[in-house]
Amino acid sequence: MSATKPRTENPNQPRVKRNTRAGQSESFVDLVKRHRRIARGSASRLLQTPASSLVTLFVVAVALLLPALLFGLNSNLASLLAGFQDSAQVTLYLQDNVSVADGQKVSEGLLTRSDIEYAIYVSPSQALDEFGAASGLGDLLIEMTANPLPGAIVLTPADVSPLAVDELARQLQELPQVDVVQIDSLWLQRLAAISNLVSAIGSVLAVIVILGLFFVVGNTIKLAIENRKAEILVIKLVGGSDMYAARPFLYTGLLYGLGGGILATLLQGIVLATFNSNLEGLMQLYESGFQLRGFGLMSSLLIIVAGAAIGWAAALMASLRHIRAINP
Amino acid sequence: MIKFDNVSKRYANGQEALSDISFEVSRGEFAFITGHSGAGKSTLLKLILAIQTPSSGQLIANGVNLNRVSAKQIAHHRRQIGTVFQDHQLLHDRSVYDNVALPLEICGYQPSDAARRVRAALDKVGLLKKEKSFPVALSGGEQQRVGIARAVVNRPSIILADEPTGNLDPGLSAEVMKVFQQFQSVGVCLLVASHDAALIERLNCRTIILEGGKLLADQKPRPQA
Ligand SMILES: Nc1ncnc2c1ncn2[C@@H]1O[C@H](COP(=O)(O)OP(=O)(O)O)[C@@H](O)[C@H]1O
Ligand SMILES: [Mg+2]
Repeated sequence: MSATKPRTENPNQPRVKRNTRAGQSESFVDLVKRHRRIARGSASRLLQTPASSLVTLFVVAVALLLPALLFGLNSNLASLLAGFQDSAQVTLYLQDNVSVADGQKVSEGLLTRSDIEYAIYVSPSQALDEFGAASGLGDLLIEMTANPLPGAIVLTPADVSPLAVDELARQLQELPQVDVVQIDSLWLQRLAAISNLVSAIGSVLAVIVILGLFFVVGNTIKLAIENRKAEILVIKLVGGSDMYAARPFLYTGLLYGLGGGILATLLQGIVLATFNSNLEGLMQLYESGFQLRGFGLMSSLLIIVAGAAIGWAAALMASLRHIRAINP
Repeated sequence: MIKFDNVSKRYANGQEALSDISFEVSRGEFAFITGHSGAGKSTLLKLILAIQTPSSGQLIANGVNLNRVSAKQIAHHRRQIGTVFQDHQLLHDRSVYDNVALPLEICGYQPSDAARRVRAALDKVGLLKKEKSFPVALSGGEQQRVGIARAVVNRPSIILADEPTGNLDPGLSAEVMKVFQQFQSVGVCLLVASHDAALIERLNCRTIILEGGKLLADQKPRPQA
């Protein structure tokens, strides 16, 4: 046993300084190295109990998958809606007493509005011709002495969102020459409303899922802490703070969230592939090339990041609570 | 450095482990706490380490009022104290090296800086060759010495030791005491609970004798002949 003398310094005075110096001088590389070591320790602990880790991972993944699928469905619906945008049309049926010249003037006036993309006047006789041609009743209609059809203006709104179209229709209804305003894309609005509903359900589900994940991850962390009670006790005895003792468990939560997020995006790919193979037949009937698309890179990243953040936060809450309760 | 002022400790079960204890230990002082089993030696050390709180009286250690401390203050307080526990309190899934490095890691030392200190501490207790071993592979005496290395590695201002030589033969006990005395010589305050009468006699340090939780005597070292 060699007797290296402790450095002859006042052991009390320089203490605080020494600690802060050690803290400050820890380079970024050292910090990263230290955290990587802790993370590796947490990961290897997860691998020590592969079955229970996998179950937790799977639960986290499925929980993340549910709202993700809903949001995914919704973004598909939105892109479907966008594809039909051009077909948003508004027809203004004019009062009987509006002459052809007046009708044309109103139509030209509408063209100057910024919220209207295109407008065209259809006179009562044009309307009758078109109706005759479309219905095949042309000859019959010639027999009629009076034209029962009103003049009309067919227009395309600049902004085809349901709200904007509604507002435009309300304003046009105020015009004295206009009798009835008909929005030809009511079904689009219904689809849009469904899309909103889906997104609202998705939000509620997301909140429920976050609470559920807090419970699942929190409970897993609680068990892990109980298993390592003796170790936490020693750490506290030699002056480790609660936060220090919690650090490995934060990585455990983070890894569960991260792994669950990655698994969720993979599962989502499988679900979409299954849907698409079924959807193909249906869409062929409608001569549509529509396909459900995946989330895209950004959305997949979002799921993974959200999973990691939730896992970490849940672990933080659980570990600080349970570690505080462990005392010598 | 450590000041007991009419301190009593009554455990939740009504057991009065310490009653009306008053004494003071200053910087650079080495004092033994002795007395029969159950005299209250461990309780006294636990009070200093804020594991237990005094039931009455005032206790100040290293400038910290231990009657009222927050969890955060306790962690910081313990970092300034090196403790040798009667039951070692080692981490069984970490190597000897990692066990000794724990206090440094908690304080955020750089790995290279920490390595130097850990090896120096292990060298002091003669365990340099065992740094890669795990505690289960060590004898009771070796585990105790790992605990001693961990207690001194962060150059604490107070060292508390509860029966630190309980598992050591006389030769090793003497070595450990030499290490403690080195720290005494640089101003560290040491409080060692022991009932090893021969060792206490030989070292001729201040000796605080407890009996049934009461302070029976506070003997100053005999004047050197
Ligand atoms: N946690 C505890 N709860 C209740 N009584 C305790 C506790 N710890 C110690 N005691 C009692 O306090 C007295 C002093 O114990 P202790 O301080 O361990 O003595 P020593 O270390 O001198 O042997 C003993 O009678 C013991 O039974
Ligand atoms: Mg004892």
